[in-house]
Amino acid sequence: MLKSRRNEILVAAMLVAPFIAIYGWLFVYPTVQMIRLSFTDAPLIGEGAWIGLENYVKLFTDKVYRTAVWNTSYFVLLTVIPGTAVALAIALVVSRLRGYAQSLVLAAFFLPYVLPVTVVYLIWNWLFDVQFGILQSVIEPIMGQPVNVWRRIPWFMPTVALVTIWWTNGFSILLFLAGLRNISHEIYEAAELDGAKRGQVFWKITWPLIWPVTVLCLTIQLILQLKIFDQVYLFSLGGRTAQTMVLVQYIFDQAFVHNDGGYGATVAVSLFIIVVAFSVLQFQGLRARGER
Amino acid sequence: MNRTLMKVLATVALFAFAAGAQAQETVIWWDFLGGGDGIRMKKLLEDFNAEHKDTIEVQATTLDWGVPFYTKVQTSAAVGEGPDIMTYHTSRIPLAVSQSTLAEITADDMTAMGLSQDTFAAATWDAVHVDGKQWAVPFDTHPIVLYYNKDKLTAAGLIGADGLPAGLNGIDNFKAALKKIQESGTKWGISTVTADGNFSFRTIYSLLCQQDGVVLSDGKWLDGDNVQKLENSVKVVADWVTEGYSPSYTDYPATVALFTSGTSAMMINGVWEVPTMVDLEKQGKLFNWGAIELPVFFNHPCTYEDSHAFAIPNNTGKTVTPEKHAAVLEVIKWMEAHSLFWATAGHIPANSAVTETAEYKAMQPQATYAVLTANGIFDPKSKYAGVASPLFDAAGNAFTAAINGETTPTEAVAEMKEILDALE
Repeated sequence: MLKSRRNEILVAAMLVAPFIAIYGWLFVYPTVQMIRLSFTDAPLIGEGAWIGLENYVKLFTDKVYRTAVWNTSYFVLLTVIPGTAVALAIALVVSRLRGYAQSLVLAAFFLPYVLPVTVVYLIWNWLFDVQFGILQSVIEPIMGQPVNVWRRIPWFMPTVALVTIWWTNGFSILLFLAGLRNISHEIYEAAELDGAKRGQVFWKITWPLIWPVTVLCLTIQLILQLKIFDQVYLFSLGGRTAQTMVLVQYIFDQAFVHNDGGYGATVAVSLFIIVVAFSVLQFQGLRARGER
Repeated sequence: MNRTLMKVLATVALFAFAAGAQAQETVIWWDFLGGGDGIRMKKLLEDFNAEHKDTIEVQATTLDWGVPFYTKVQTSAAVGEGPDIMTYHTSRIPLAVSQSTLAEITADDMTAMGLSQDTFAAATWDAVHVDGKQWAVPFDTHPIVLYYNKDKLTAAGLIGADGLPAGLNGIDNFKAALKKIQESGTKWGISTVTADGNFSFRTIYSLLCQQDGVVLSDGKWLDGDNVQKLENSVKVVADWVTEGYSPSYTDYPATVALFTSGTSAMMINGVWEVPTMVDLEKQGKLFNWGAIELPVFFNHPCTYEDSHAFAIPNNTGKTVTPEKHAAVLEVIKWMEAHSLFWATAGHIPANSAVTETAEYKAMQPQATYAVLTANGIFDPKSKYAGVASPLFDAAGNAFTAAINGETTPTEAVAEMKEILDALE
C-alpha cells in the first residue's frame, strides 16, 4: 500500500499525541511549576512572592539540609552495593535448588517485598522494642543494656538499611535468578571439562555474564534509595528528626509541616539534580567497566 | 391499566419526591478520631442520624490524624472541596487562620446553638479565638493525667484517707514516692513516653507552666528566664530516667503496656487512654486503677491540654445555603448536648452544663481529674504550634536525647531555642 510521507507523519503524530499530552500535563508541567515555585516564598497552598535565589542561598547554610544530604548518601552507601551483593548471593544459592524446594525458598525471600511499608515498620518496631523486643536479647549481651535503635543516632541508619535490604531484596533476587538462568549450561560444562574450580567458574563465567543484570540492579537500587522516605519517616516519628533527616523527608517537612512550599520545592529541585547526576554517572561508569 | 390507579401512583411518586427534596440536608463530616474515641464518635453520629431521620443526614469520614489530616483540610478548603464540618484541634487554629482555612463562628451562630462564653472554661474559650474572632466550638478538652495503680500505691502507703494518691506533690516528694513503690516490689515507679521527646513535651510544658513560664511571649521564643524554667522542667523528667525510676527510650505502646501489666505503678499519658483501662477492667484483666491531675512539682497546679473542637471550613468559591448552615449548627448543638457519652472516651466535655450533671460527677475517674480544666494551659498561639507542628518537632529533637541522659537539659533547651528562632 502506498502512503504519502506526510500522511505517515500525521498518523504518527496522532498516535503519540495522547502520550505527549499526558506526559506534558502530568510530568513536564508540574516539574516546570516546581522549579518556578523554588524561586518564590509560597506557602503550601497559594501564590508567593518572587524572591530570586534566596531559597538556594538558604540551602547552603541550612544545617538540617546538610544532615539530610549526608544521611541520604550514607543510606545509599549502606544499601545499594551491600543489598545487591546479598541478593546475588541468595540468587546463587536459590539457583542451585530444584523443584519445590526452589519455589519455597524463593517465596520465603520474596515475601517481605509484597508487604506495605507500614507493616514492615510495625514488625521491626516490635522486634527491636526496648522493653519487649526479641532482638534485644541479641543486643543486650553485646551492649550490656537494651538499646533503642530508633533513637540512638549511630544505630539508626544502619538498622533502617538492614530493614530495607530485608524488605526490598526479593526484587533484585528475581532479576538475578532470571539472569543466571540465561547463562547457557554448555559454558559451565566446558569449564568443568577444563577442570575449572568453583571460584574460577564464578569469577570467570558467572560474574562477567551476570554483569548487565548487576548494573540494572545497582541502578534501580540507587534511584530507589536516593528517594528513601517512608521507613526513615516512620521509624523516626516523634524522635530526633533533625539528626535522622533524609532528603525526601525534608521536602515533606518543609512543605507540609512548616508550610513553606517554596523552600520545599528548592530542596526537591536539588534532589532532582542529585538523582540525575548520580544515575548518569553510575550508569556510564558501570557500562564502561562492563564493556572492557 | 386503570386510569385512577395511574393517578394515585403518580401522586404518590410526586409526594415522595417532594418530601425527599425538602427533608434531607446532607452534612459532610470529617474527623481524625481513629482510636477508642473514634468508636464512640461513630455511635454518637449514628444516634444523631437516627434522631434526625427525615431532616439531616451526617455523612462521616475518618481520616489520618496529624499532618495528613490538616494538609488535606487545607488543600481541599482552598479549592472548595472541603467538608461542611470537621473536628479540629484548637492548637492548630492559628495556622488555619493564617491560611484562611476556617470560616468564622459568629455571635448569631452561637445564639442559634444556645451556647455562649459561659458554657466553656476560660482557657478553652480563649483557645478557639484568634485575633478577637471565634473560629471553632470546643467539644472537649483532653489533658494529660497521672494514671496510677491503686494496689501498688496502697502497698507503698501512698493512698490517703480520701482514697486518692497522697504525698506526690513536690519534686523530691514525688521521687521519694517512686522509691517507696520500687522498694515495695514494683520494677518501675513511673512510665512515660521517653522515646518521643515530642510526647514528653506535654509533661515538660505542664511543668514549665507550673513555674509560670511560657514558650512564646511577645513573638519571642523562650525569652529571658523561661530558658532556666524550661531547663528545670526537663531536668525533672530526665532525673526519673537517670535515677532509675522510669525506663529510658520507651515508646508509646510500651509505655501503656508497662502500666497495664503492672510493671510500672504510674503513667503520665493523655486521657484518651481511659477507654483502654476501662476495657481491660471489664475483661477482668486490670488492677484497681485511677487517674488524677498531675501533681504540683513547682509553684501551682497546671496541666497541658488541647481541645477537639468543631470547625467549619472556608470552602473557597462555594456558598453555603442558610439551610445547610442551620443543619451544621444543629449537628454541633446536638453533639454539645450529648457529650456526656463522649466523656466515656476519657475526654472532658467542654460544655460545662454536661460536666455539672450528676451522671458526669458519678463517672470515675473522669470526675476526679475534670477539675484540672481550671488550671489548664493550651499551646502558645502561633502558627508554628499545635499537635504535629514545628514546635512539637523541635521538642522531639531537643528533649529525646536529654530525658534519656545523652545530653544535658541546658544543651537541650539551647537546641530547642535555636530551632525555634530559625522559624521565620
